[in-house]
Formats: sequence, C-alpha cells, structure tokens
Amino acid sequence: MDDAKLNEANPIGLPRNASAIDAVLDSDLLHSFLGSKLTVAAALVVISITLAAVLAPVIAPHDPYDLRSLNLLDSQQPPAWLKDGDWRYLLGTDDQGRDVLSSILYGSRLSLGVGVLSVAFAAALGVGLGLCAGYAGGALDVLIMRVADVQLTFPAILIALLIDGSAQALFGVHREQTLVLGGLVLAIGLSFWVQYARMVRGLTLVEKSKDYVLAARLIGIHPALILFRHVLPNVMGPVLVIATINLALAIITEATLSFLGVGLPPTQPSLGTLIRIGNNFLFAGEWWMTIFPGVTLATLVVAINLLGDWLRDALDPRLR
Amino acid sequence: MLPVLSVRHLRVEFATRRATLTAIDDVSFDIMPGEVLGVVGESGAGKSVTGAAIIGLIEPPGRIAGGEIRLRGERIDTLSAAAMRRIRGRQIGMVFQDPLTSLDPLYRIGEQLEETIATHSDLRGAALRRKAIELLSEVGIPAPESRLDNYPHQFSGGMRQRVVLALALAGEPELVIADEPTTALDVSVQAQIIALMKQLARHHRVAIMLITHDMGVIAEVADRVAVMYAGRIVEIGPVRDVVLTPQHPYSTHLMGAIPRLGDTRQRLVQVPGAMPPLAAMAQGCAFHPRCSRAFAPCRIERPALRLHGSTSVACWLYDDRWEAPL
Amino acid sequence: MTGGPLVRVDNLGRIFDVSKPWLERAIGRAPRQLVVAAAGVSFEIGRRETLALVGESGSGKSTVAKMVVGLVTPTTGEVLIDGVAMHGATQAFARRQLRRRIQMVFQDPYASLNPRWRAFDIIAEPIQAFSLVRGRAEIRARVDELLRMVGLDPADGSRYPHEFSGGQRQRIAVARALASDPEFLVCDEPTSALDVSVQAQILNLMRDLQDELGLTYLFISHNLAIVRHMAHRVGVMYFGRLVEMAPRAELFRSPRHPYTHMLLDAMPDLAMTGRRRKPVEGEIPNPVDPPSGCSFHPRCPHVKDRCRLERPQPRAVEAGWVACHAVEEGRI
Repeated sequence: MDDAKLNEANPIGLPRNASAIDAVLDSDLLHSFLGSKLTVAAALVVISITLAAVLAPVIAPHDPYDLRSLNLLDSQQPPAWLKDGDWRYLLGTDDQGRDVLSSILYGSRLSLGVGVLSVAFAAALGVGLGLCAGYAGGALDVLIMRVADVQLTFPAILIALLIDGSAQALFGVHREQTLVLGGLVLAIGLSFWVQYARMVRGLTLVEKSKDYVLAARLIGIHPALILFRHVLPNVMGPVLVIATINLALAIITEATLSFLGVGLPPTQPSLGTLIRIGNNFLFAGEWWMTIFPGVTLATLVVAINLLGDWLRDALDPRLR
Repeated sequence: MLPVLSVRHLRVEFATRRATLTAIDDVSFDIMPGEVLGVVGESGAGKSVTGAAIIGLIEPPGRIAGGEIRLRGERIDTLSAAAMRRIRGRQIGMVFQDPLTSLDPLYRIGEQLEETIATHSDLRGAALRRKAIELLSEVGIPAPESRLDNYPHQFSGGMRQRVVLALALAGEPELVIADEPTTALDVSVQAQIIALMKQLARHHRVAIMLITHDMGVIAEVADRVAVMYAGRIVEIGPVRDVVLTPQHPYSTHLMGAIPRLGDTRQRLVQVPGAMPPLAAMAQGCAFHPRCSRAFAPCRIERPALRLHGSTSVACWLYDDRWEAPL
Repeated sequence: MTGGPLVRVDNLGRIFDVSKPWLERAIGRAPRQLVVAAAGVSFEIGRRETLALVGESGSGKSTVAKMVVGLVTPTTGEVLIDGVAMHGATQAFARRQLRRRIQMVFQDPYASLNPRWRAFDIIAEPIQAFSLVRGRAEIRARVDELLRMVGLDPADGSRYPHEFSGGQRQRIAVARALASDPEFLVCDEPTSALDVSVQAQILNLMRDLQDELGLTYLFISHNLAIVRHMAHRVGVMYFGRLVEMAPRAELFRSPRHPYTHMLLDAMPDLAMTGRRRKPVEGEIPNPVDPPSGCSFHPRCPHVKDRCRLERPQPRAVEAGWVACHAVEEGRI
C-alpha cells in the first residue's frame, strides 16, 4: 500500500467527500441534543416564542398600539373561557381595552429584542476587551481588569438605573422609542460585559502561548489579525455558553427595569411592563392581566436556561 | 512457583456511539515474584489500558469484556470497587507518569506517606514516622527528616518521582505497576530513577510491570519484555533476546527505528503508515498492511502467540504450518 | 546572497524577571528575582549545515531558538542572519524581507496547529502573508504540492487537525514551514512528542528535504542519538550556557566536557552490552539561585576550588571548543 493511503486521516467517521450538512447531521453535538428530551422541548419552546414574537404583526388578532382600535367599553374583560369573556379577546383585556394576547406577542418581541441586543453588545464589548487585555498584558491588562473589578461592585440593576436615569434627565421622560430601547440595551449590556471580558482574558492568556500563535507571529501577522482570526475562534465556545445563559438574565433584567418603571413605557410595553401594569389589578380579582405575561416570561427564561445548560455540557471536552 | 500476576485472554472494550472498539484483545502474560516485566508499545497499542485494567481503573464506557486477571492465584477482575480499593496500595502499588498529579499539592509529603503506611499496617506514632523516614532515605532523598515537612512543590521533578516510588512501596506490595514513570523527566534524572527502581525491586522482592514507549528504559531495567501492537502482544520474551534478535517484524522495525549512538546508517529504518486506529483494524494480523514480509495467511487470520526459541511470537512466519516465502 | 555563515549569533543572552508583582514585593520587602535563561551564547551556522543544540530542561536551548527567529528579544548580544540583524531599531525593512526566509517547526504537534483551521488554510497562511503566489488556483496548486512533499494526500487539506495523528500533524507543520520557501529552519524538538516509528519517518523526511531544497537547520533536542543522526555540528548547553561545541564525529568520539560525558552515559544501553553506568548526582540547579563559578560544579566529579569561584571560558580544542577548567588544566 502506498504511503498516502496509509497516512489517510480519520478512517472512521465520515468519508472524505462528505458535505457540510452530513458533517452536522453526524456530529456528536446533534446527537447529544436529540438525546435529551428536555433540551429538545426547551428548544421548541424558545423557537415557538421567538417565531411568535417575530411574526407578531402578522398573527396578532389586534394591534394594541393602535389607539383608535381600542374600545374602553371592552376594557377589563376576563379570558374567553370564563363568564363575561369575549372570544375576540382570547386572554382578556387590560384596563385600556388592549387585548392581552396581542400585548404578550408584541411584548415578547420587545423583551427578546432588548435581551438579544444587549447580550450581543455585552459580548462584543467584553470579548473585545478581554482579547486585548489577555494578549497585550501589562498596563492595558491591569487597566481593563481594574475597571472591570470596580464595575462588578455595582449590581446590574443599579448600573441600569443609573444609565436610564441619566438618559431621562438628558432627554426627558417622553423620549422616542429608539432612544429608550437604545438606552436600555446600553444599560443592560454595560452591566454584563465583565464576565465575558474575564473569561476571554483567561482563555486568551492560555492560547497566546500556544505554538500556533507563535507560528503566526513568526511570519509577521499583525496582532489584531492574530486575535481575530486565530484566537477568537478558539475562545468562542465558552462565550456562547455564557451568552445563552446571559440572555435569560438580560430578559429578566429588562423585565425588572420595566417593572420598576424605568424600562419600556406602557405605551410600548414589554412583558415586564405588562406585568407591572397588571399587578395593580391583581388584588381586584383581574388576575389575567399579570399572570399570562408572567407565565410567558417565566417559560421563556426557563427554556433558555435549559438550552444554556445543555450547550455547556455538550461543549465541555472533558465530558465527552 | 506461583506467578504474582497472571493475565489470561484479557479483552477490554469501549462502547462509543458509532461502534464498540476493542482496546486490547486476547492479552495473556505472567509476572513472577521479583521480576520486572516491561510492556512496550507506541501510543494506541493498549499498554496503559492493560495496566488500568489490572488495577481496576477502567471507567465506563470502557469495560473488561473477557478474560481473567489473577493476583497470587485469586481473581481480581471480578471484585467490587471497594474490594479493589483495598488491593490497590496494599498488594498492588502504582506509579504514574506525572508526579505533580500523583501527589496532593495541599499536604506535606510526610503526611501523605504516613497516611499510606498507616492504612496498610499497624504502625502508629513515632514508629510510623520512623518508617516514613526510612522509606524516604531508601529512595535516595537526602536529609529525609527535614524533608518530611515539605510540600510537593518544594521538590524537583526527579525528587517528586522518588517520593511517588516511596508511596508506592509504603504498603509493601508484591506488585508495582509503573506507567511511563520516567517519561516526564530529564535524561540524566531518568537514569537515576531507572537505577533506583532496579535496586528497589531487588531489595523488596517486588515485581514490577513497567509500561513505557521507551525501549531504552526497558533495556536497562527489565528482565522480560512484551511488545504490544494494536491491542495485542506480538512478542514476549527475555529482554536481551527481544532487543538484540527481535523476531516479529514489528519488533524488528521498532528496534531499527530507534536512533542509536553506535549507528553508522544514513537513514533510520522506516515503515510507512502508523498504528491503525481502533476502529480501522485490518482483518487478520493487525500489522500486515505495513509489514514487508506479509504473505497469504496474514490477511485472513490473526496469529496466536507461539513459543519460538526463547521468545513467544505472534506471527505466521514462525508457524510451522505455513511455508513462509523467503 | 553574501558569502560566509548564514547565521551568526554573538554573546546572546536573555534574562527574565520573575519577581512577584511590585505591590507584594513592596509589602514583603522582597528583592527582585531574575532568572538567566541564557547567557554568552555564540555560534555560527554555515549554509546547508545542521547545527544541533543539545541540553536538558533549563539549558536555555528553546529560549535561544526563539531569539534566533525573532520571537523573543534578547537582553544582550545579537543575531545576524545573512548579515541582517534580527533585533534592534535599524534594518526594520530588511528584517521584514528576511522573515520569509526563516521558519520554525515546533515541538508539540497538538498545539502548533490552530484547531479551528483546516490544514489547507494553515499551510496557505504563509503563502498569503508573503504574497508569494496569487490567485486561488495557484495557491491551491502550491498547497497541494507541499502536502505531497511531506507525504500527505492533497485531499486531506480540507480536514481539521484533530482528524490527524501526531505524526501527520507534524508533517503539516513541516509543510507550513516550507510554504514560504525558506532557507533556514529552526526545529525545536520536532519529534519529542512522537512515537519512535513516526519519529523515524519525520527525521528521514527532514534530511531528505535538506538535501532536496538546500536548507540550513538549527536543530534543538535533548536526545543525543537523534542529534547524531541529524547534525553536522553539535553544541551542548547547560543551565543557559554553551559548554562545548564540536563537529559531530568528534563530539561522540571524544567528548570533553564532564556534562557531555554525563549525557552520553545516560543514554540507554540498547546494544545490551551491560556496561556499568556511573550515576551522576544531583539535578539541574534552581535558576533563581544559581551556583557560583561554573554552574555545573555541584554535580561535577572533577570539581576543584577554582570551579566554584571562576566561570570557565571557551578554549579551542581541535575543531571545536570547551569551557571547562579541568580540560584546560589537562586534568581530564
């Protein structure tokens, strides 16, 4: 037999000309995913809620933001299956006559949107700073890490309140929606970047001394390119795990902020705002206004957490 | 004389998603009291798996799928985990490659030694401490009384491995299994540790199963050597015979590929390819795809170990039933 | 291309500061701690020659290798490759041109390839960095040629490192090193992590490539037998310094420095001659607290008072040199 055939790589597993799709279908990751019923269920939940949120303008029976379509006479109706219920408003209405189901759909949109954006922002900032700190070392490393340390002493909510409060002071209470959203994303993102930075810095320190990085330095590749093309792909695994679990936390944080009144306003409520508004009517017996959004939020957060758990275990090389 | 360790037809399998892989297959050998048996092979040959199977450290998805292991005549492969724990340390001592992980960095050497000795004997108090000092000085640690109170990180690599040897002998075992004990050490320290092991084996009448990829270590210290390839023993015999006149084509290749000081050759003996991965084993003799002397039966059936002169070889070339081409 | 040696290293040295952070030091009033990884290293390598640096851990051979290729900045001394200084403020442009001609093969086949890159991209990186070949088809052709040169199938370019064995990964590393069409290759223990039979393949491959492509090698190893196989000249390093340098045949025929004797003695007796070995005492000293005078004196069987006080200087002996008082005084 000639040398090349004897040197053939990986004779078990896929044949040489297997396509990328085959590789994914055959992968350990997919098998571990399908093997856990709980994870599959969690994934389905997340996908359904996300799809519903994205398609809200299409599938929502009413538009809760259209002031003209609201009818005050329809306000405070209970869910359809109860006495006095109306099948036009499946889950009931709130005090303004807004359909609870539609509010939940649009609210999920905002909750998810803010959650994803703030996590993306935190990850980008944290990973970027972590890479720089880990690779450069020295004074830059010390500076970034001390800033991170200081920030960790503040709870996320406080930071978010601070930023939000400043935004209110600067731009007034009734500012435009994009500004509100932007401010929220900034606030939540800024409160979460530190964990990414710390993790990535540690991983970068490890990767930096590996020979493949030395080989790249040897041929004169610019440090930024080394960080981006060589180091980053190798630190992404744990980052993804943190990001998934972080997403749940970000959504809760936004809900908390909205509940406290410094998040999204009632005119464009997120799930948190809906819970707050509905809370006022809870003891009056009109439970549906707060319970349904609350259940949706809880389900979403639990499902995301379960997915994050699975991802962490699946990506852990030691558990394979 | 009853062998200290007797392994017959040992087979270890690993169940993976795609297939069940056989890590070692039909492995049989004996170790006599006080003898040093070297088990040599390259990575993937299965030598560490053999050692792990004997001391009961095969974890799922791996399992012992066949054969038996007897320690002084008593079967140990069927023992419970608790019973095996009692045997480990008392009757079988262990030395692993990395002394940094064998020793607990949080405890002083003296504490670790005394704990091991106390677990396997009745010594206590001053007598215990004396025994610990005795062991340390026996493995060549200078000023042992003061070094009892040091932590592992305060020792150099070679010194740490000596301490590990002392720990292995603390339970006064009959058999010590050493898996790559000198691989992580510098060349000059390796020579010291090898000499020490030889001396300790003679003095304590302890049998040693020395697992390593380094033929040089085997040549220095072993009485007999077993050459493993792809999970099987291909040749086993007195070390002098196997090293100077290897019979199995793989052993010949292995000895030829080692660069030596007395060499005047221009090129090292090289055989194409590498050891096949567990899942891609050829039919018949596992070495035949790379063997320059392969002929008809090699592709069909696996040869068994047969005595040929002073060594046993698993190769059709030495089987009388076949006429090997010249 | 100028005449004379391709590589010239003069009084090369490197000191590492391993002190605790200044705050801890200030509080504990502890002094700075400096480790001399290498000092006073000088040698030359002629074109198409292989110089081997032999030593155990703490000898400084890896640090010297990294200084020669420019990965580590020396604290003293200089490295000149084809007349161009590898470090320093001047000649930056010439140095950039030089990078293409110098490459390195690393020890650990598992850490020297980026696990997230395909073999093809790993080998193509130097080609693209130096713009040696342009156009996707041309680059592909060149990478395929390199893969074949190291005994691999071009189709394997699409695989990831974890799909290869250790020996195959090292072949990819060699292919990457050759991708920029270098003249000078520094090999840092390229076969230490490999099995014996694979080691034989890689060493043979490297010798063949040297003959075919006219390469110059700086070969780092701790294994004297391998060095004997690969090198034309050998330098023995101990605790950061070169203690002996000689042509290969001479070093093995008549080693002079006591440490060289010790290394040769420590080699296993595969001819089963049953030779008795004189065990050498001790271990490598602690670099933070180095011995005075000659750093080998605590372990040397020929030690005298002068050895504890004065560091020996290199003295020419036949075709090489030795730094040892006992040799100089004719005691051994």
